[in-house]
Amino acid sequence: MLDLLPHLVNGLVLGLLFALIALGFMLIVGLMEQINLAHGSLFALGAYMGLQFIGPNPPLPADLTTYWLQLPLGWRYALALVIAPCLVGVVGIAVEVCMRRTYGKDPLYGLLLTFGAAMVIEEGIRLIWGTRDYVLEVPRAVSGAFFFQDLIWSTYRFYAAGTAAAVIGLVWLMIEKTSYGAIIKAGAHDSEMVRALGINLSRLRLSVFVFGTILAAFAGIILAPIWGIRPHMGVDAVVPAFLVIVLGGVGSFWGAVAASILVGLAIGLSAAYASEWSLLSMYLLLVAVVTFRARGLFGKKSVLEA
Amino acid sequence: MAKDWITRRRFVTDSLMTATLAGAGTFYGPWQHNAAYAQAKPIKLGLTNDASGQFGNSGQDDHRAIRMAIDEVNAKGGVLGRKVIWVTADTESNPATGTRVAERFITREDCSILIGALHSGVANAITQVANKYGTIYLNSNSSAPSEAAENCSRIKFVWDGNGTNFTKAAVKNAVQAIGKNWLLLTNDYVYGHSTAAATKGQVEAAGGRIIDNMLVPQNTRDFTAYLLKVQQVKPDVVATAMGGDDNKALREQIAQLRLDEGKPAWINNQQDWPDVWGAPQTLFGVFGTTWYHKLSLPGVAEFVKKWQDANKDGPIPVPGNVSYNGYMATRELFRAIERADSTNNVKIIQELEKLKVPALARMQHHDAYMNPDTHQMQQTVYLARKNRKPTDNTDHFEILSWAEPKAVEDDVAPTKCKLIPYDKVPTVDS
Repeated sequence: MLDLLPHLVNGLVLGLLFALIALGFMLIVGLMEQINLAHGSLFALGAYMGLQFIGPNPPLPADLTTYWLQLPLGWRYALALVIAPCLVGVVGIAVEVCMRRTYGKDPLYGLLLTFGAAMVIEEGIRLIWGTRDYVLEVPRAVSGAFFFQDLIWSTYRFYAAGTAAAVIGLVWLMIEKTSYGAIIKAGAHDSEMVRALGINLSRLRLSVFVFGTILAAFAGIILAPIWGIRPHMGVDAVVPAFLVIVLGGVGSFWGAVAASILVGLAIGLSAAYASEWSLLSMYLLLVAVVTFRARGLFGKKSVLEA
Repeated sequence: MAKDWITRRRFVTDSLMTATLAGAGTFYGPWQHNAAYAQAKPIKLGLTNDASGQFGNSGQDDHRAIRMAIDEVNAKGGVLGRKVIWVTADTESNPATGTRVAERFITREDCSILIGALHSGVANAITQVANKYGTIYLNSNSSAPSEAAENCSRIKFVWDGNGTNFTKAAVKNAVQAIGKNWLLLTNDYVYGHSTAAATKGQVEAAGGRIIDNMLVPQNTRDFTAYLLKVQQVKPDVVATAMGGDDNKALREQIAQLRLDEGKPAWINNQQDWPDVWGAPQTLFGVFGTTWYHKLSLPGVAEFVKKWQDANKDGPIPVPGNVSYNGYMATRELFRAIERADSTNNVKIIQELEKLKVPALARMQHHDAYMNPDTHQMQQTVYLARKNRKPTDNTDHFEILSWAEPKAVEDDVAPTKCKLIPYDKVPTVDS
């Protein structure tokens, strides 16, 4: 019989990575009630932008490029984690501006628009970077492997899971403990009242969408060294993100986090003990939960009502 | 008004002159190829290549080489004096899409021959449709052993080496030299299953045993659970049968863990060149291929140059096994049509069944031949590993050995492959 502990640890790590992927998606669904099908493509674009800054051809003027490339890899990586998601945020602005006409209408319009945006972004990636695969170089401090319980583990996965936990905490703090978070929640809860109080609702929605985009791009850079970089990598992200949101309960912050960890554990354990069921297990989990709790694990309760 | 009329005599004279000039121009002008094309309708091919999904990258590499072979034959005046034209559609690495595309190409686009496959499920789906209409189908690059065994067909020809060929080239020596306890890591679809079955047979025949077969669902991106289990089970050898993007993600994660250094040993069935390009540092273990652009054989350098000229803006700078198979399949099809002196499907099939290609023309170490009982091209199989001393930035393989086709032929396939008689094949003529 296999020792269970390594697989529980692996499931937990995987769950945190899923939570990181789903975070931006969850914010936009929960706070704007918009399903952003371009989430996966923005995730992929983040990975490519990160690659561009970390790799040998940064999109910078020639003299700045020389200086940039002299920086140690760790610095370039750390700066890319900030700069690349912000640049993808600009793409997020464009998508949100296009989405404005769909607000308050049938959700299908928003779905179709973001689906189209996903296609455009993915094809744009193919045009700029081609169809080949890339590997994202990471600093030595977080690469390589270590021994735990006589098994070799990837250092990077634990770094990625730790980063995911930190980002989850920061996002929660921002939404729950800042006045800006309160305005965002209020805007989602009763937009007319927020507008009546003199708050610019369009700007508020824009900021939420761009923040969700930045989180998607950040997740793309973090996941890139594990999954590899290829134009259609976004599809691999958007499916579990969507599943996690439904499983956790649409709009529920901690519901999404708990659902991510459950999905991670389901995949991790089934891969070890019944490998052919590993991907199916997350769908079975969804069916089982939705059968008994149609609104997902945390039901209707969300950050908006906290 | 009367002077504007055309008299009957003048009308007949002018018509005759026009017809004479047009006829002479057609046959004696500088456009002799077009003159030939004009005599008969073009031969239309349906290129069933993946452009997205798990095999999108490789599918397009296949596509580029097929196009190159078509351009080449058209530049020489076409086949039987007829221009070759083509249509293509993305089969999306998805069998259901493969079925739809094949049906459309045959019934609406009037394609008389289909070419292209990476995903064995897609290849099998296309075969079912092609069977129904008697349309010849060239499976250029799907390497599931089942393609030339239980899923074989009179109308289908398989051009890639398959899981059994690569397994036979590697397993016997590995059981003796490395160890008897083998673990299989198998992509959960037809290629993985049939390759794993072949590996199991070879391992057991060589005195080894399979201690576990882990099935990996398609589109798996995180392999940590599997790699932890590999470490817990402690096999001597892990034999993988993974395809496309799944294979790339697996390679990246094994490289991160450095699991390829020391035990267990890794035997990877085949590494397609488009999957290697872009991430060569993740290559590990011993793997198979049917061709490499650095083989020291006559014609290789010329072929590479020709391919580069045809694909100047392509994503990959040199051809690999996928392009090679796509090109060879298409080229041999045209030659078979010329030999048959007909576009009748059965006559072409009979020509392809007799196909023998000298090593020189194949740019391989041994002569190749089509097995008439399975319709699989029997060819040289190479074993390789990551090149530690590359001569340039495309030199990623170190070729370790090569096996002649007879030595790696699938002996069981003919017993599983049931080809229907020629008179049961619906007639197709381009």
